[in-house]
Amino acid sequence: MNPALQTSASGMIAQQRLIDVIANNLANVNTTGFKRSRASFEDVLYETLQGESLVNYQSNATVAPVQVGKGVRVASVQRFHQQGTVNQTGRPFDLAIEGDGFFQVQRPDRSMSYTRDGSFTLSNTGALVTGNGYLVQPGITIPSDAAEVTISPNGIVAVRTGDVGSSPVEIGRLELVRFANPTGLESLGENLYRETVASGQPINGQPQDAGFGRVTQGNLEGSNVEIVVEMTDMIAAQRAYEINAKAIRATDEMMQATNDLVR
Amino acid sequence: MIGFSGILTAARTLSYYNRRQEITANNLANVSTAGFKADRLVAHRPADLDSPVPVEATDLSQGALRMTGRPLDVALEGQGYLVVDAPGGERLSRGGNLRLDGNGQLVTSEGLSVLGEQGPIFFTGGSIDIGTDGTVKSDGHLVDRLRLVVPGEGATLVKEGAGRFILKGDPAAGTALIRQGQIEDANIDSIGGMVSLVDIQRAYSASVTALRTMDGVLGSVTTDVARV
Repeated sequence: MNPALQTSASGMIAQQRLIDVIANNLANVNTTGFKRSRASFEDVLYETLQGESLVNYQSNATVAPVQVGKGVRVASVQRFHQQGTVNQTGRPFDLAIEGDGFFQVQRPDRSMSYTRDGSFTLSNTGALVTGNGYLVQPGITIPSDAAEVTISPNGIVAVRTGDVGSSPVEIGRLELVRFANPTGLESLGENLYRETVASGQPINGQPQDAGFGRVTQGNLEGSNVEIVVEMTDMIAAQRAYEINAKAIRATDEMMQATNDLVR
Repeated sequence: MIGFSGILTAARTLSYYNRRQEITANNLANVSTAGFKADRLVAHRPADLDSPVPVEATDLSQGALRMTGRPLDVALEGQGYLVVDAPGGERLSRGGNLRLDGNGQLVTSEGLSVLGEQGPIFFTGGSIDIGTDGTVKSDGHLVDRLRLVVPGEGATLVKEGAGRFILKGDPAAGTALIRQGQIEDANIDSIGGMVSLVDIQRAYSASVTALRTMDGVLGSVTTDVARV
């Protein structure tokens, strides 16, 4: 078989992967705290068909070897941890991080995970939990008689129990973590991430510490997907897919011509 | 045996166009690969041969730069290559989607370390700034400077895959500007690629027709001449 067929097929597969990634970005355009991803490609092994010294003619000057590449593959799918736009919601337990950092969330299997999605709520015992009911760490429990809950930009959670005008009492403080390489985090779904060897160990800190962002109450961080960027990437991927399909057809017609040699 | 040498020439031409098709297919497959450099196969006709000898050349011209905003996307503008520490030795690369590994080391997307003038580059702080002259700063402190080389006099580059080049010969100092937050697109002209697909296909069919014609002539020589 003509190796150009596999080469072009690898091009089509790579563009298909790119479309998969773009489709997921677009599907999550309204997901709180969602970070878009991008597929990047690399060329694969080169086969040297003809060494440097073989094509010496007329002079002793060496000629570059004839190398034929074998197509393309997906090198990585990288997540872009850029800040998403912060949208006001007015809900007291909607928290957005402006700047670096993740909230810590304990999953039912007691493992730690990390999220930028601060659309928290209260459990039946008054504990601060995510939309899926996972506990936010360090645990914060809001007393049942709380009249108003305020969360300051540096993460201090205070409640006022009495009348309007009585002073709020601090009941806990939110902590954030950050990573040397957030791109290395593994996505778990449910807007949660898990640390990996590539991300490095979580670095604990409080909001507004050096290197950490601030927490804003009554806001949510939207996704950082830009529809226009995704749409233009999608058009480019579609055209690249078509070009590779055309190359397959051209190769096929050449093979057909070869087959017609013998009638 | 005039007929035979003509058939052999046509057959060599067919294999040349087959190879060109493979190279064109590879260029088109890599149309979205950052930093990819297109290959060309050109025909050289030595004086003592009737059919062309394929000679390959990699087009090392600049690809278009595209903004991505990701701080570890690094593109080069102008003459130069970054130095990557690969298992087989130091390799050259046009940059691309770099990242940090778990130790904060600057690596390529395959995890090979990108070398500065003092060796591997480690980041500990939050922000990463890479200047156009290759100076690397972390939270404002100078960390290192990216090593930038070009092939020296008489040196050639051989592709290794994954965007890496093997340098055969001595390096010289590169002059490229480093662009942080940008990606160099493949330097493939997709219209040119489509045109060469058509071109190759037609030239191939023409050679097939020539071969068949010669086969027909040879056939009538062997059958009709004997009948005289």
